[in-house]
Amino acid sequence: MTTTQRLSRVDAVNWNRLQDDKDLEVWNRLTSNFWLPEKVPLSNDIQSWNTLTQQEKQLTIRVFTGLTLLDTIQSSVGAPVLMEDARTPHEEAVYTNIAFMESVHARSYSSIFSTLCTTRDVDDAFRWSEENPTLQAKSELILERYRSDDPLMRKVASVFLESFLFYSGFYLPMYWSSHAKLTNTADLIRLIIRDEAVHGYYIGYKFQQALNEATPERRQQVKDYAYELLLELYDNEVRYTESLYDAVGLTEDVKKFLHYNANKALMNLGFEPLFPSSVTDVDPTIMAALSPSADENHDFFSGSGSSYVIGKAVATEDDDWAF
Amino acid sequence: METTNVVTTSQADTKKPAAEKAQARTLDYHALNAMLNLYGANGELQLDKDREAARQYFLQHVNQNTVFFHSLEEKLDYLVEEGYYEAEVLEQYAPAFVKALFEQAYAFKFRFPSFLGAFKYYTSYTLKTFDGKRYLERYEDRVCMVALTLARGEEQLAKSLVDEIITGRFQPATPTFLNCGKQQRGELVSCFLLRIEDNMESIGRSINSALQLSKRGGGVAFLLSNIREAGAPIKRIENQSSGIIPIMKLLEDAFSYANQLGARQGAGAVYLNAHHPDILRFLDTKRENADEKIRIKTLSLGVTIPDITFELAKRNEDMYLFSPYDVERVYGKPFGDISVSEKYHEMVADARIRKQKINARAFFQTLAELQFESGYPYIMFEDTVNRANPIAGRINMSNLCSEILQVNTPTEYDESLNYSKVGQDISCNLGSMNIAKVMDAGDIGTSVDIAIRGLTAVSEMSNLKSVPSIAEGNAKSRAIGLGQMNLHGFLAREHIYYGSEEGLDFTNLYFYCVAFHAIRASNQLAIERGDTFAGFKDSTYASGTFFDKYTDEAWLPKTEKVRGLFERSGIALPTQADWEELKASVMAHGLYNRNLQAVPPTGSISYINHSTSSIHPVAAKIEIRKEGKLGRVYYPAPFLNEENFDYFQDAYEIGPEKIIDTYAEASKHVDQGLSLTLFFPDTATTRDINKAQIHAWRKGIKTLYYIRLRQSALEGTEVEGCVSCTL
Repeated sequence: MTTTQRLSRVDAVNWNRLQDDKDLEVWNRLTSNFWLPEKVPLSNDIQSWNTLTQQEKQLTIRVFTGLTLLDTIQSSVGAPVLMEDARTPHEEAVYTNIAFMESVHARSYSSIFSTLCTTRDVDDAFRWSEENPTLQAKSELILERYRSDDPLMRKVASVFLESFLFYSGFYLPMYWSSHAKLTNTADLIRLIIRDEAVHGYYIGYKFQQALNEATPERRQQVKDYAYELLLELYDNEVRYTESLYDAVGLTEDVKKFLHYNANKALMNLGFEPLFPSSVTDVDPTIMAALSPSADENHDFFSGSGSSYVIGKAVATEDDDWAF
Repeated sequence: METTNVVTTSQADTKKPAAEKAQARTLDYHALNAMLNLYGANGELQLDKDREAARQYFLQHVNQNTVFFHSLEEKLDYLVEEGYYEAEVLEQYAPAFVKALFEQAYAFKFRFPSFLGAFKYYTSYTLKTFDGKRYLERYEDRVCMVALTLARGEEQLAKSLVDEIITGRFQPATPTFLNCGKQQRGELVSCFLLRIEDNMESIGRSINSALQLSKRGGGVAFLLSNIREAGAPIKRIENQSSGIIPIMKLLEDAFSYANQLGARQGAGAVYLNAHHPDILRFLDTKRENADEKIRIKTLSLGVTIPDITFELAKRNEDMYLFSPYDVERVYGKPFGDISVSEKYHEMVADARIRKQKINARAFFQTLAELQFESGYPYIMFEDTVNRANPIAGRINMSNLCSEILQVNTPTEYDESLNYSKVGQDISCNLGSMNIAKVMDAGDIGTSVDIAIRGLTAVSEMSNLKSVPSIAEGNAKSRAIGLGQMNLHGFLAREHIYYGSEEGLDFTNLYFYCVAFHAIRASNQLAIERGDTFAGFKDSTYASGTFFDKYTDEAWLPKTEKVRGLFERSGIALPTQADWEELKASVMAHGLYNRNLQAVPPTGSISYINHSTSSIHPVAAKIEIRKEGKLGRVYYPAPFLNEENFDYFQDAYEIGPEKIIDTYAEASKHVDQGLSLTLFFPDTATTRDINKAQIHAWRKGIKTLYYIRLRQSALEGTEVEGCVSCTL
């Protein structure tokens, strides 16, 4: 992290004087979406977990380990560097929330592990993640941008991480839940998706604001860099996907999902999609499960669902009690 | 399902371009079903894809995994010999009759109209081989086994039950429909309600009952109001009791343990009076940031609120919380058996009763905050419930779905934990009628009569020896709960908006008819068997005052539309003279069942029955259903098409007021309760929820079930072409 931009003084953040209304809108959304993994009765998935084959279990643990790494990067490096580039004090505050929730996400995977898996399997997976070349390459590609002194590229990297890289992992729990497996785990992941969708969108929005102020030459340069980075990440992601999903025969469908989300990430940055619709036709069960609007009608006795939020408390007044 | 028009793949493939071919291969029934949640190429709802999914489910899965038999005889012999079917059920009938009954069922040519209906049935209800891999029953077989079990040898009743069930007019609740006729089965009863008294014997017995009842399948609710609060004395030594939270923890663990053995998820609820000193701790167990030691994840919570709490809140005063330990010593009976409204000022003034106070409005606000975060607690309006109760005694709790409202009495134990006095606890046998189908058939009297007989059979056949207070309560009361579903589906099909003047008018008169025929059927049973439920003499049925509201005024349609609907159906509305006659017969011969109606939320069975849940509006035109055994599946509102699209406003659009008003119309004619869920957008505040609760209380609603919230996706984060994002 660079220290050159450190402010010599700090102004108190005044939420009643907004430079950008989007900051408050997103802040409100993120805080009302606050959740902790303890909310989800993961232990109801134990029976279902036991129906998975050893291979499927290993795949699931590895996928979640990979996600843990990404969340860790985003929490401890990504959000803090973005904070330095913040355009408003409120934007900074939003990043502190993002940083914290990314830690909650990372923590959630451990909750899944401690509920479903043996310590040895989990340790093996963490060792695997440290040694897996494609996973390490992916994190290196992102970290490199975060360490660079180009604030726009930092945001590009961050959006790619939030809106693209996570999804090769998110595919699996959505796949399981559409086959009636690990449905509570899927609920938890859907809560994470709910957060990441907002994160990617918001960072992309801030990126577009900054980009609009740049010279046309600079704009073109950033755009070229962005596509270049995406392609680099994509090539690596395809290898990563193959190494995970080949054994269960899902690679082709996960790739379509990658295409879809790569386009989505570019959209968040305000750029044109890269992949034609002929290669983004993801399995409908996955697409339909992805909706971030939470309006499913779940069975309360087997899960807590992913639809509850922290409410806004407003006191009742005398008129309300006029009877 | 039809198997004749399967196109062989080679024929089909030659006509399709390569891309389409690839897609055709990947579209299994799950994918087809999921397309319901995605718009078609021209932005249209893909309702046909769901029908295709149902068809493909049979072609690709069910037909291939069903055990084949050459004849019915061969099938039944095999199932009895191998220990799948109970021989006793079939032995009550002549083989020729059994054969004719199955033929009657098959002649109806039943088909599942939705994928979820078929999927749910085959996943959770139908009889499977012991290894769980192959199906042994079709829907018709299940219907026949239910009818044969419940009719107990009465041929005519068996035929009538098949007729009512296969047409969808009557649908027994899950435990009955799932278990009847099977050799390896749980109980037929839906749910149980038990008191806990303020002593260790009773607490210990409760844990045991939770295990026993969950093992047999069924929701269990417990009353915690009688338990002394945290810090109350034990053997007069102060600050000893740990209060109710540790009991909740024990119960939660008991339910999740039994869940691992049973076929159905163990599930439980606990009810607490709003004026119990542990009330805030009780609610805090559902906080998002609750400590793991006190957090309650899977146990459902309910709060009973007396009228006095509303009055205190109106005046913006504090509400006192009373120590159950002291109250029991002063009044000589448990806190739950005291009317807090009646004794409030007396208890406030009584120095022997320890008390704390909290602000009443702040209490309601806390309730709403928790409902935002977790959907809980349920609410029972205690005084409303007791005013509407025709039976002598006090109602102090409800159940897991908040529709059962019955009186109970305490049980006493001796030192060896044996029963020194068996009290009466509550069980309930449920089943629901499909309003649209009943209206279409036009013989509501027969439909209700057969349903009441089917439900009464469940009560008579049940004897839960493991929990004697339940067995005692059931034997004395023969309580049943006849419910209704598909109200919204019916209204929309008839181009009536949910909650409109016509909608309310219809709801009122439909339930009016059901009440009449239900009482008549139970009266008829009392005459046939020469017996009434215990305590009939002390009820307002016996004194006749129950009937005043029906004999004193005429109940007639207020709108032309509704008058027309009943005329078209050929359903005659009972007149005042009809009620006079029924009143005389009831006063002379009594009723066989202490409780008759209760409107459950109907999750699973409404999918199988192809109806909208209960008397709620639809949660969405295309509902996303998530369950442990099913995964995530999509369900189109029954009768939904392009033409009646607008009438399927969802519950969030309709808003709490119209839902409450609709339930208020039905409540007038239902002796027990009705599960009422309220729906809010995430932009609502706790004040909106409080206002809805006040409105519900004022309208005479008895209980409130879940609060549901819908959060719309932040603009810019939606999934492209996703139905649930935009509808």
